[in-house]
Amino acid sequence: MFGVNWWGLVLPFCYISVLLGSLITFASMYRKRKAAKSANLAPWFPPHLQRNIYLSLLHMEPEEGKEKTVAVPDSILRAALLRRAQEDIFRIIQIRSAKQACSTLLQRGSIGDDLWQRFLRAEKEMEEELRDVVMEANALSPNWGQHIFQSANEIAARSMFTTRLDEIQAQLEPEKEWWEKRRASIQSEFMKELDTPASSTGDEDAVMVESNKSKKKAKK
Amino acid sequence: MEDSETFTQLPICMDPTSKAITTSSSSRALQEELAALNNLHKSLLQLESPVPPPPIPVNQKRSANITKLRESGNAEFRKGKHAEAIKLYALGLQMALGRPHWEPSGLVRDEVAGLYANRAQAHMAMSNWVEGLVDAEASVEAKKVGNAKAWWRKGRCLMEMGRLEEAKEWVGRGLEMEGNEADLVGLLKDIEEKEKKA
Repeated sequence: MFGVNWWGLVLPFCYISVLLGSLITFASMYRKRKAAKSANLAPWFPPHLQRNIYLSLLHMEPEEGKEKTVAVPDSILRAALLRRAQEDIFRIIQIRSAKQACSTLLQRGSIGDDLWQRFLRAEKEMEEELRDVVMEANALSPNWGQHIFQSANEIAARSMFTTRLDEIQAQLEPEKEWWEKRRASIQSEFMKELDTPASSTGDEDAVMVESNKSKKKAKK
Repeated sequence: MEDSETFTQLPICMDPTSKAITTSSSSRALQEELAALNNLHKSLLQLESPVPPPPIPVNQKRSANITKLRESGNAEFRKGKHAEAIKLYALGLQMALGRPHWEPSGLVRDEVAGLYANRAQAHMAMSNWVEGLVDAEASVEAKKVGNAKAWWRKGRCLMEMGRLEEAKEWVGRGLEMEGNEADLVGLLKDIEEKEKKA
């Protein structure tokens, strides 16, 4: 009934199977190699200190010579989680600002592909970390996950502002000293002018006029 | 960043009485971080709720007090009692900066900008050019756009102290931010005239 010449079809079937087999093998090996390389990439950020602190607090082992661990109170865990969220916000800001620049550089060819891969991996890890923090927050206090990042954002912005303000206020003392010295020197110049006999050189007049002006301003 | 499944166990322990976290390692970064953590913990303990509330609904009491202090400072300034005004402004600044860190930083910036600008004005009225300078700069740092008063005041202090180059550069920056504001343009002209005379 089926007048199919099976023997004639052996060769084409072999060809197709070999073709498909090699394609599939190549694809799977390539993907495995890429995954391994991506796992071996150098990390983008230095080790996450706040995360380590939080997890160490969570898993503190009993010390030598004691039977039970001193239970770490929840308030400390919450503070540690807030610090972790703060550092995450800081890193996310860095990633977002670097993203545009990195993609432009990549298009121009100034940086290699491995840098871009490291960056993408860092981005992915960051998203996982954020999800993790939200889950931990919800575990520590009901519904905290929704606003923990808002609070952390405000804290981060506030601490940057505070450091800037402190820098500015620190300039107060040196500026005061400078101004006192300047006033003293202007005063002494003025006194010298009064002492020397009045000669009509243009220089002295100019200096007197200027020191007069500054003296007047200082007295105001 | 390391693998998300692992973490590094750090050598930290908790002091059972004071609930402060200490470490036996000598790493400076770790010690600074733990100090920050302990401070945050102390400020969290003062809250009634277990966690910092979301920033948006703000408790109005502190804002009302700060506004009252600013108004009374303004009143003293108008009466001519500059030292009193400075004291009131300083008290207001203490309150504004003492706000807990999780309250909206934008609100803090606005309050602080206004208070610093007014204190700078009071210092200038007493000819304390240095204090006025520092306060005006702090006000600009808090609010760069829409704060023409503070830009003008620092420019004026610099001019009065004879630092004309710096004053010109500062007022130039202010004009970039404020876009040809009349007072700033006038101040720039004054500085240039003084430079020609000197």
